[in-house]
Amino acid sequence: MTLLVADLRAFVAAVRKELRQVRRYPTLLLSILFWPVLLPTAWVLMGRAYSGNDPQALAAFAQRAGSPQVAGFVFVGYAMYMWLSTLLWGPGTALRTEQVRGSLEAVFLTPASRLVPLFGPGAANILPASLNFVVMGVALWLLFGFVPTFQATLWTLVIIVLGVPAMYAIGALFAASVLRFGEVGPVVQLVRGIFVLACGITFPVAMLPGWAQVSAWLLPPTYIVEDIRRVLLQGAGPADVTEHVILVLAMAVITAAAAAMVFRALETSARRTGMLSRF
Amino acid sequence: MTAPAVETKDLVKVFERGRRTIWQRLRREPDRRERFSAVDGIDLRVETGEIFGLLGPNGAGKTTTMKMLATLLIPTSGSIRVLGIDPLERPRDVRARLGAMLSGERSLYWKLTARENLEYFAALYHVSPNQTRARIERALAAVNLSDRADDYVERYSTGMRQRLALARALLPDPPLVILDEPTVGLDPQASRDLRDRVRELRAQGRTVLLTTHYMEEADQLCDRVAIIDHGRIVALDTPAALKRTIRAEEVVHLELGIDGDDRTVLEHLGRMATVARSERTNGTLAVTAHCASARDFVPAAFDAARSAGATIRHVEVVPVTLEDVFLSLTGRALRE
Repeated sequence: MTLLVADLRAFVAAVRKELRQVRRYPTLLLSILFWPVLLPTAWVLMGRAYSGNDPQALAAFAQRAGSPQVAGFVFVGYAMYMWLSTLLWGPGTALRTEQVRGSLEAVFLTPASRLVPLFGPGAANILPASLNFVVMGVALWLLFGFVPTFQATLWTLVIIVLGVPAMYAIGALFAASVLRFGEVGPVVQLVRGIFVLACGITFPVAMLPGWAQVSAWLLPPTYIVEDIRRVLLQGAGPADVTEHVILVLAMAVITAAAAAMVFRALETSARRTGMLSRF
Repeated sequence: MTAPAVETKDLVKVFERGRRTIWQRLRREPDRRERFSAVDGIDLRVETGEIFGLLGPNGAGKTTTMKMLATLLIPTSGSIRVLGIDPLERPRDVRARLGAMLSGERSLYWKLTARENLEYFAALYHVSPNQTRARIERALAAVNLSDRADDYVERYSTGMRQRLALARALLPDPPLVILDEPTVGLDPQASRDLRDRVRELRAQGRTVLLTTHYMEEADQLCDRVAIIDHGRIVALDTPAALKRTIRAEEVVHLELGIDGDDRTVLEHLGRMATVARSERTNGTLAVTAHCASARDFVPAAFDAARSAGATIRHVEVVPVTLEDVFLSLTGRALRE
């Protein structure tokens, strides 16, 4: 068994271990059913309360958002918010949970690659997070009558999957800081807030001031959210988003290289200071 | 001559106490954090196939030493060889060959069964798929948990969880097992049980390095013991040889009632035995004396007390233990 195969096996075992633990708290799965429906629906209804069905207001929205589909816009934004939260904070949360529980040292005593405890548990969360998409799609259809084409849905999935490395690479940067500094929750919340504001999650990027728009286009989630909306709501095809997809993949490579260096440096620092066992 | 299982030379680990805030860093204020040596120049050689104990009080540097051996901490200076490998250069190779039980029951997943815990760690230890099942069964049998393997760990007693942590350490079939305070928090029966398991590890040809602050544990279990205090090894030998170093056959604990100055009575007692420790609490003086024969010393101690105006309230004669060795070397009891 080569080292790579052994580490892949360990990765799968980490995913299975996490799913087993989730299965033992079945009530947690309830949140998959109601949050993806309640919150975006509330936002859509709030928008309607402000503007009613005023054609002028809808035209203004369409001009900024690129589509008159208010419900679709909001649901895509919220779906991506939940998806990004899972990917971005998954690795850090996984390490922090192990650290507080007291099992991090036991995992670090094994010869498995550090990528296993870093991404294994987070990968397990992808499955329940994916269910959010299904639930939101059904809600969008039943409540607002919006049904995307099969082709648009398929290409959306491709964009989501290709965006995973970039999201995980940013997540690994935060995870590394858990090793050195322990609790980084407040910083994570701050960055999450910035992402919500900057990446067009709940409103079009065009609403931001000019300098903020420039900053927004430096963040991979902005491209992912934008491309999904274009494909689902504006009927864009693969050729229209390929450039963005390549850009996001390039960002992933750069961020992953930076994350690997930062992770190695902070792990070494944690081994010098003894932070692995402190929390 | 076979290579030692563990060898350290002049091993040092310095930690910093306190915090240096970002504000202090930005202002480039001098670093005023206190530095202390948790491990202060340890030379150790653990031979293959022995049970070697690091005995010392809490905070002596035992766990820090273990963590450096296990690659969890980077030494400040000095060298380490674990099974002939330098952990700084090849940490993954060391981890693959080392069975370590460092943080006990908290290091397990309580919402998983014992078997599920071991399945996960077997994969992390890169145990091949066709060996995993047999390896898990063997590890469970070694710690007597086969019949409870499919129970959730949250339903286990502390002793069972400690045994499961030991089973996990055995998964890579390691030639060297390191155990940090393996019996801490266990009741006497569970402690005995775990010690039996450790003896079996030696019988299987494995080397065991353990830390403990229980002198009986070190005495009964270890082939050799290093007594460690303030990050330094103050004595290293077999338990029997260590006990011989204090040149006494018996230890007498006296409790005297005394109102005035205790110097006279201590001077009298000191002429007949080695006063290893004395502690005055109001009108009571507790004395620990190392002597050749309690049969001769105790009557003389009564005479000495009477002549100094004191009364002996309690006498206890016990054989020499490693606790007395530690006391004679450091002037403190292990539990202090």
